[in-house]
Amino acid sequence: MRLAWVVMEKDLRLAWRHRTGWLSALAFAAISVLIYSFAFDLAARDVRPLLPGVLWTTFLFAGVFAAGTSFQHEADEGTFDAVLMSPVAPTAVFLGKAASNLIALLVVECSVLLLATILFDTTLVTPELLAIVLIGTIGYVSLTTLLSIMGSRVRSRAALLPVLSMPLLIPLLIGAVRATGAALGIEAGTAPWMMLLSVFALWSTLISALLFPIAVER
Amino acid sequence: MSAAPIAVETHALTRRYGGIDVVRAVNVRIPVGARVALVGANGAGKTTLLAMLSTLVSPTLGSATVLGHDIGHNPAALRRSIGVLGHQPMVYEDLSPLENLQFFARLYDVPDAPARIEELLRAVGLWLRRRETTAVLSRGYHQRLALARALLHRPAVLLADEPETGLDPQGMALLDELALTLPGLTVLAATHRVDRVEAWATGLVRLERGRVVEDTVSLPVSAAGAGAAR
Amino acid sequence: MTNLLGRMLELRWVVLPPIVGVAMMAMIIGALVAAPREIIEGEVQRLMYIHVPSAIATYMAFFITFVASIMVLWKRDMRWDPIARGSAQVGVLFCGLVLLTGAIWGKPIWGVFWTWDARLTTTLILFLIYTAYLLARAVSDSMDEQAARYAAVIGVIGFLDVPLIQMSVRWWRTLHPQPIIFTSKPALPDEMLIVLLLGFAGILSLVLWLISLSAETERMHQRLAGLRAGVDRREGA
Repeated sequence: MRLAWVVMEKDLRLAWRHRTGWLSALAFAAISVLIYSFAFDLAARDVRPLLPGVLWTTFLFAGVFAAGTSFQHEADEGTFDAVLMSPVAPTAVFLGKAASNLIALLVVECSVLLLATILFDTTLVTPELLAIVLIGTIGYVSLTTLLSIMGSRVRSRAALLPVLSMPLLIPLLIGAVRATGAALGIEAGTAPWMMLLSVFALWSTLISALLFPIAVER
Repeated sequence: MSAAPIAVETHALTRRYGGIDVVRAVNVRIPVGARVALVGANGAGKTTLLAMLSTLVSPTLGSATVLGHDIGHNPAALRRSIGVLGHQPMVYEDLSPLENLQFFARLYDVPDAPARIEELLRAVGLWLRRRETTAVLSRGYHQRLALARALLHRPAVLLADEPETGLDPQGMALLDELALTLPGLTVLAATHRVDRVEAWATGLVRLERGRVVEDTVSLPVSAAGAGAAR
Repeated sequence: MTNLLGRMLELRWVVLPPIVGVAMMAMIIGALVAAPREIIEGEVQRLMYIHVPSAIATYMAFFITFVASIMVLWKRDMRWDPIARGSAQVGVLFCGLVLLTGAIWGKPIWGVFWTWDARLTTTLILFLIYTAYLLARAVSDSMDEQAARYAAVIGVIGFLDVPLIQMSVRWWRTLHPQPIIFTSKPALPDEMLIVLLLGFAGILSLVLWLISLSAETERMHQRLAGLRAGVDRREGA
């Protein structure tokens, strides 16, 4: 656990140093929100029914985009091998990496929420919504982290990652969009959707943490 | 322990990639303190053999132990006792030399880390540049930092894959002094610099197409002396 | 023990083709001639004899991919990779067939080719997941262990995702207006049931045979690539 923390700290520091990668994810997210505004004419009418979908597609695409680049340096520099050859348990390495991706993504997502609050005049920064974003992000970050680490050894991974991860993430998308909709008062009751989200988050974290040590062996 | 304890021992160690035995039934018994040059043409299996001993690649068949730790069963203890110098420096370009070593010191739980890091950074000539970003340092300095990283946790066995790559004569002198001829350190180093082997090695293992064809270091398997392993 | 199992597996080349031939012929004749015309749905109902067994066969194929993927990851044995791959190919093919026959049936019965019904949506998502699996495996050659393990991870996660997909899609649909489909399923008359069982026998044995062929082809690709690499190496030396 302590070592997972060490790995996370190092990865966050690296994420800060190559912030271009994360900044482009943020720029990508901001631009998609704008593109959606033009495409669905969100400025003119009641946006709330469309907002959950807009937010979560943006989050997922930005997340997959960022996961693809976050691991590239480590694979190219061979440092991932150096970490694997150290006495640290692979599970700790995975948890550290996933945690650092989670934190960086949450920063991106909160910025998007702020931006959308300003653009659409709808209060999006509420404790309930933040909880939904947190649980939803935990749910997808572990899978995209696993797939991007594994994919770093396979050709043409950049194009593959969205194609591979999106179908697997559909339950999460449905749950997150519905929970967000409920939190915005479009429909009744977040409870079942929050449960679906939590189950997915637990499922994906467990399965990724279990598969990771087997998957990185060569 | 008998008179000559064994540092690295392999039994029919084999690794197959795509139907080819890249490393084929390698048997070696390298005593503690030996300094072995691993030579052979490109593709002879040197890198794969070292990768198996450093637990990065698992063998298809056979087994190996390093200081008595099996590569399959006790990787954490084994990893603690080896230092690995790859042909890639394996350091973070965007961290400074100091941050690199601090990170690895925490992974290896090095006691008295600050003093050890300072000692090594001074030894490889990076102390004054310890806070610069590694990316701006030259190739030779990358290699020196890699050397410091490999030795950080005071390994008993050094596995090196062409450690001379990118080093100037001064750097090579450092490599010899700090690693290859460090008293007490067992060294297994793949190298193409056959001209330098005499300077540091106590023995030689030659690989050809995955097989050991020459071995001047391995101890006989039994006291009866069945001859050096193939 | 393994020898005996191997010999029994060899029998599949002898046993499966005639079963496939006889059962498929019987099913086609049965479906087109012997089975009565369904009163409400008409002729198009005869697609059921292919549709339902294909759906079961799809799940079977994906389950084989799942098990073989586990073996690739756990036993680190590349011999399981052709099985996982071949089975996924056949699974995707039959999943497509299920979607296609469903759409052909849906147009006259529901008035639309496609509706976002829970079962349809789940099938479509499965189709996407295993197409992605095949893509992940196809970017590298058949000897590439890393690509095999990468694909195997998808094979495992994809299958374990099925209950979650089903749960989420069912909730998603039930909170939406439901399209009007049958609410209660009338029991099948005996003739129909017999033809459907023939369909099961035919399609399931066909799928097993196709998986065997597909896996065997992949295995030979693997061997060929291995032999090529061996020749290159010898010439290079």
